[in-house]
Amino acid sequence: MAKTKTLNKRRNSIRSIRKITRTMELISTACYRRAMDRAVSAMAYTDRLTKMVRNLASSGAEVSHPLLIPHEETKNVSLLVLTSNRGLCGGYNGSILRTAYHRWNQLIGKDGEGTQKVEDPSLIISGKRGISYFRFRKITASETYTQFEDKPAWDEVEPIANKYLELYLTGKLDRLEIVYTKFFSMSKQAVVHETLLPLTEIGSGEESAEEKHQATADYDFLPDATSILSEVVPASFKTKLFKCFLDAAVSEQIARMVAMKAATENADSMIQVLTMAVNRSRQSQITGELTELIGGVEALK
Amino acid sequence: MERPISKKIKITVFTIFSTGFRCKQRKNDIMASNIGHITQVIGSTFDVEFSEDSLPAIYNAVTVKSEKNGVVLNLTGEVQQHLGSGRVRCVALGSTDGLIRGLECVDTGAPVTVPVGPETVGRVFNLLGEPIDNRGPVKAKMRDPIHRDAPALADLSTKTEIFETGIKVIDLLTPFVRGGKAGLFGGAGLGKTVIIQELIARIASAHGGYSVFAGVGERTREGNDLWLELQEAEIGQTGKHVIDQTCMVFGQMNEPPGARLRVALTALTMAEYFRDQSGMDVLLFVDNIFRFSQAGSEVSALLGRMPSAVGYQPTLASEMGALQERITSTDKGAITSVQAVYVPADDPTDPAPATAFGQLDAFVYLERAISEKGIYPAVDPLASSSRVLDPQYVGEEHYACARRVQSTLQRYRELQDIIAILGVDELAEADKLIVHRARRMERFLSQPFLVAEAFTGKKGEITPLKETIRSFNEIADGKWDHLPESAFMYVGGIEQAEEQAKRMEAAAK
Repeated sequence: MAKTKTLNKRRNSIRSIRKITRTMELISTACYRRAMDRAVSAMAYTDRLTKMVRNLASSGAEVSHPLLIPHEETKNVSLLVLTSNRGLCGGYNGSILRTAYHRWNQLIGKDGEGTQKVEDPSLIISGKRGISYFRFRKITASETYTQFEDKPAWDEVEPIANKYLELYLTGKLDRLEIVYTKFFSMSKQAVVHETLLPLTEIGSGEESAEEKHQATADYDFLPDATSILSEVVPASFKTKLFKCFLDAAVSEQIARMVAMKAATENADSMIQVLTMAVNRSRQSQITGELTELIGGVEALK
Repeated sequence: MERPISKKIKITVFTIFSTGFRCKQRKNDIMASNIGHITQVIGSTFDVEFSEDSLPAIYNAVTVKSEKNGVVLNLTGEVQQHLGSGRVRCVALGSTDGLIRGLECVDTGAPVTVPVGPETVGRVFNLLGEPIDNRGPVKAKMRDPIHRDAPALADLSTKTEIFETGIKVIDLLTPFVRGGKAGLFGGAGLGKTVIIQELIARIASAHGGYSVFAGVGERTREGNDLWLELQEAEIGQTGKHVIDQTCMVFGQMNEPPGARLRVALTALTMAEYFRDQSGMDVLLFVDNIFRFSQAGSEVSALLGRMPSAVGYQPTLASEMGALQERITSTDKGAITSVQAVYVPADDPTDPAPATAFGQLDAFVYLERAISEKGIYPAVDPLASSSRVLDPQYVGEEHYACARRVQSTLQRYRELQDIIAILGVDELAEADKLIVHRARRMERFLSQPFLVAEAFTGKKGEITPLKETIRSFNEIADGKWDHLPESAFMYVGGIEQAEEQAKRMEAAAK
């Protein structure tokens, strides 16, 4: 019967897929540990720095920095989308890109409700998945990065951060938005859409009682507030951006781990079903042939 | 069943004008009652011994009549083999209960003949041409033998014309041919009979000519239901009922194998008469042609033939060929036939359906996996095909659309394992779009049936071919990507899908 053969072929191809998914699962488990350590350690630093800037900003009206002040007109908006270079990570890229695509449509004024049309939106994509997604929809990105893998390096992120800082300060960029997967904990990651520049929300974020207390504390600036802020505020932006990349990397690994585990399980159950079908069809084939033989022999008697 | 002499003469008279085959029979007819004696009874076959010099010809009908201990026996058999020394082996066309050795058996000198002609319409027959609807005898002027030669090659019609059914999936992917043969293949419970009945409701009620229905080895209840239904159904606006243009022949599950083996020929003979004499287009529905092969296999072993592949008779292909070759269109008229073919154990490589497959112009394959999704008619759009799905016959637009739908669904099927394992997110963008549209197409291939109105509560939809092509092209173009999948279930044209989507949205609010 031709059925046995096709079933066997299908089972073998699923076995190969399973081999891949199982391997990917193991690899991502290894990668995720390292990525998570980096993200968690960066988290403490970033949080502290953000808090500091916030406190400084709210400590006195005389302290100000151009990065903290929104431009009067919002014309040039850049949307930075962090996706992965590789697939096999389940809905990771899909959900980022859905959010990003929605936001992009708002920016270019194509979305019916919630339109925030701006004059000159530009799209910056990191990761091959995102690049091909937008290329398929005939949307050209002004810039693309593919160098970020599971270990984004500070040296790689800093030049990018510097570039946007300069663009913002020279007035060529009015807002920098980012869509990426934020890492909260091992069991919680979520796609978020944040505004990185201007760093306004730093000054207006929700504050705990302790922070409020600190905010009222007196600061002594040495040599002076401006020079300190000009150092701390850009650094805050840079670490924030860097943190986004780290979060994205760790979320990707977790997503991959989960997806591959599910995929391996799916493949397992499919192999099980197919094995059953193969055996059954093989058995019925044998039974058929036997009855034919016996029937033939009987008829010849 | 002994006929009165006068009737016999009548047969003789008209056979003179007919084919050579029938002339040959005449010789036997003229002979005085040729009587033999039963020597052996094996299940539904029996042996009869005649005198050596008056052997009945192969396919001649022989009759046995007896009454013993209150058991009335009135059996017709058909000569199948000459065993030598005057013995012939016959297949019983009825129950052999009460048949004993030594009974007298009369050679009728001709094959089984059945009444044909306009008198037969509106009536229900068994394979011997006896009415079984309790409406009195049929006063047919003519009787034809059920065994005949297929029309000569030179007489065959060469026209190829599309036969629109208003069923989207059939019209688009497996267009039927006017004067051609279409087969509905499917395992148990996939809706073959429902599609046949739907086609009767659609075609016969819009059709001016005669229809013949053959119930071969299927449920007796279904035959009864159909008969009642045809009495109610009307032909267009004429006020006539479908039954007034239809004759039905039944040899259902309860009948012995000999009856099931020959009942299709009886129906075919009636259809042939309409074709040859009235020149009308005739519809012939057969449900289920597999039972014909099955009955053949049941008697085959009893006739002493060695079983062939999967236990079927060695003569499977020639039996099927002899039947199918007669279902054909000639210069005089056309027989358009729709046949249901049971596929045992859902295995289309089984010899019986495989043999029937080769004979057909349009091949509709019903798939269990599709019926499990709740999509009816459960036609497998990739396994089904039609001879006329060719730009030469259906036109470029139809052909391109059908191929487009098939390639989309094909790609979807290829991706199905990947989706099952990795999820739809892992697909490339282009493939995601294909999957998106394929799922909509798949659902759009479903259609509410006229005959299922009472069960589904949805009005049956007759979708013109033009609208079908346009709808599928628009789905493939992505015009309806925004509608939810379920909106495509059980609608006619694409606009109805849109309406359904709106209704669903309103209901959700």
